[in-house]
Amino acid sequence: MCRDCGGGAPVDAHFCPQCTKILSIGRHGDYFSFLGLSRKLNVSSNDLEQRFRGLSRQFHPDYFFNATPTERRASLERSSYLNDAYRTLKNPVTRLEYLLQLEGFAARNPEEASKQVPPALLEEVFALNEELDEIRDMRAAGAAPEPLTARLERARGPIEAKRAAHEAQLEELFAKWDALLERGAPDAERRPVLESLRNRTLERNYINNLLAGIEREMATDV
Amino acid sequence: MSKVVGIDLGTTNSLVAFVKDGAPVVIRDKSRDALVPSVVSASEDGTIFVGREAQRRLLTDSARTVYSVKRFMGKGIDDVRGEATLLPFRVGGEAGGVVKIGLGSREFTAPEISAFILRDLKHRAEAFFAEQGEIDNEVDRAVITVPAYFNDAQRTATRDAGRIAGLDVMRIINEPTAASLAYGLDKRHTGLIAVYDLGGGTFDISILRVEDGVFQVLSTGGDTHLGGDDIDLLLMHKVLAEVGWSQSAEKVQEIRKAVIQAKWDLSEREETLLNGRRFTRAEFEALIRPIVDRTLEPCRQALTDAGLDASQVDEIVLVGGSTRIPMVRRLVGELFGKTPHSDLNPDEVVALGAAVQADILSTGNREMLLLDVTPLSLGIETMGGVVSKIIMRNSTIPATGSETFTTGVDNQTAVDIHVLQGERELVVDNRSLARFRLRGIPPMPAGLARVQVQFQIDANGILSVTAHELRTDIEQTIEVKPSYGLTDDEVERMLLDSFEHAEADFAARLLIEERNEAESVIQATEKTLRGPGFAEIAQRDLAPGEQQRIESALAELKAVLGSDDRDLIHDKTHSLNDATRHLAEVAMNRSVQAALSGRNVNEM
Repeated sequence: MCRDCGGGAPVDAHFCPQCTKILSIGRHGDYFSFLGLSRKLNVSSNDLEQRFRGLSRQFHPDYFFNATPTERRASLERSSYLNDAYRTLKNPVTRLEYLLQLEGFAARNPEEASKQVPPALLEEVFALNEELDEIRDMRAAGAAPEPLTARLERARGPIEAKRAAHEAQLEELFAKWDALLERGAPDAERRPVLESLRNRTLERNYINNLLAGIEREMATDV
Repeated sequence: MSKVVGIDLGTTNSLVAFVKDGAPVVIRDKSRDALVPSVVSASEDGTIFVGREAQRRLLTDSARTVYSVKRFMGKGIDDVRGEATLLPFRVGGEAGGVVKIGLGSREFTAPEISAFILRDLKHRAEAFFAEQGEIDNEVDRAVITVPAYFNDAQRTATRDAGRIAGLDVMRIINEPTAASLAYGLDKRHTGLIAVYDLGGGTFDISILRVEDGVFQVLSTGGDTHLGGDDIDLLLMHKVLAEVGWSQSAEKVQEIRKAVIQAKWDLSEREETLLNGRRFTRAEFEALIRPIVDRTLEPCRQALTDAGLDASQVDEIVLVGGSTRIPMVRRLVGELFGKTPHSDLNPDEVVALGAAVQADILSTGNREMLLLDVTPLSLGIETMGGVVSKIIMRNSTIPATGSETFTTGVDNQTAVDIHVLQGERELVVDNRSLARFRLRGIPPMPAGLARVQVQFQIDANGILSVTAHELRTDIEQTIEVKPSYGLTDDEVERMLLDSFEHAEADFAARLLIEERNEAESVIQATEKTLRGPGFAEIAQRDLAPGEQQRIESALAELKAVLGSDDRDLIHDKTHSLNDATRHLAEVAMNRSVQAALSGRNVNEM
């Protein structure tokens, strides 16, 4: 509802259809609809940038400097929301996380989830941990650092390969999701794709943590 | 309609500009000088001097003169220990509180000292508009620039300074972004721009994308403690190591003046004289290389943050007086792989951009739009002294973030929150911005309350906080205690104080400045006229009657020196200046010849 003229306005209108004043942001849809986008995972960055600039030009606080306090407030809120939306959707990783959250597929407890080894990675993680333990023991026994670094490099190989495989899988799932949206597929078809997207995301986060762990281990050698 | 201006409140110099018929222009004084040295001095009777006059007083009354105050904005005394070496003025304050600076017999905070400079710029602009025949020449609103890398406390201190000076600070904008606005005016730019801004005390790098008239900052980096001052300090150490460290404050200032001159010389020439010795550009470059190198890492980081390679940047814009140093241009050029350009005066470009922004805000002109970012991440203290980040650095502002808190014990009605700015993991390594106490939480069992705290960074890059309890929907009251800032009451009181004390008599101050100017011209003239080499000059170089004309102009000026008529003194000073112009040239040529033949100018 418009605070100025009391007229009603659709959820994702930025300006009151009756009196054209900028609307407060009390009730709104989501980042996608705010920017006039569908919930597709592949977003053209050119298109996103253009929408972002266009909307910034519509409600940046600079252009409401001499307006009423209500309008100034609305412009600040709307610009802040726009900036948050732009930042979240610009990056494919945060974009996917945001979509999963919107669709009710966010990891229930992300901290816990990040500690549990995803079943698909059990083999690699087991091998890596054995290798790391051995390297730590050797270092404690005073082994020369160069061969240890070389072993760490080698240990990284299979994990890197896993990551590359995951990127490819995610790309496939992105396209699949977008196609489902395109033809308005029912929930029953969408759910398994979202499920897969969530699992791949958790696995990828886990892989990234593993790689960061190896980085740290290599840094202690130097 | 009262006037709006853009102000560049610099470490070394400050300027004021406004938009005239759609184009920004800097405001100059009678002698076409746009720069107001950011120096403030107090005489024995408490009269405050700002700018050139205060700068002169550095050499005669250094203990009562303050410069580079920008370095102390938003700082606590604990931040600046070790900073005060070689500064002639007192730097003190209570532990855990803001820095207090001694000026004459009084103590001021950094925003109050800055307010003296801002008030001078305000008067300068008002005098200019009056002279242009404007009926309403009051200047009451301004856009003031700050280094992009300034934190919340430093921005707030700058806004407070404006308020103390009686200005409605419409907006605080970042210096490199302001510069890009000034650059974008004449050309319809599209592309990626890097703005490298090395000023008197601060360094900034900002990477922008310019498209459809939108100036969007992609990333920013810098060091608020790196600039020309550090170069001067290195050179001063070099000279002091030669002449001995125990020198009077005035002598130290003389050395400072000489090293600054030598630095300037070496931007134009391959060698100069410093402390009576030959000083080459190569020696200078070897000495300052570490300082210039310290600017390159933030450049690389800013590129990484923007997701760009150096080669993708279309243009490099240089801002700040220190970018006149050839080595700075060379190294920046090498880093980005193309020649930086500086069509506009690097000292003036920031003020011009501030004027453009002031015009946008006051007129609603929608031709251009600035979208800036917050330079530092914002976070809160969590268990174990670790920072949890809420708004990431390089987020476009305005930006919001929120965090939900709960209670730890039954019936707890308040929660303490510590807000920090910085990139490090641990609380101790980041900048403490403020502590809040959330009160009025309804009594309930531990862990049930859910207090949502909303952080809002506005278009100035300044933070505000609101909170409400989600279960009861009760709005919480927040008491903000800035870690290194002033409360609203303190700013209010300073504004009143400033009217009572410093504003005392602007006309009287102008008169004193005019007299001092006259005295220095008289002194210089007499020194030449009565000097040992004059007889020879008079015989060889002066026209018949020239000496008499000088003598009579001199006598006329001396006669009016004691009067209260500022314009009369100004006119007679002007006449004497005109009469001695030729003589001064002749004397200068002789000095130069003497210097080139290896003799020290001071020996003449």
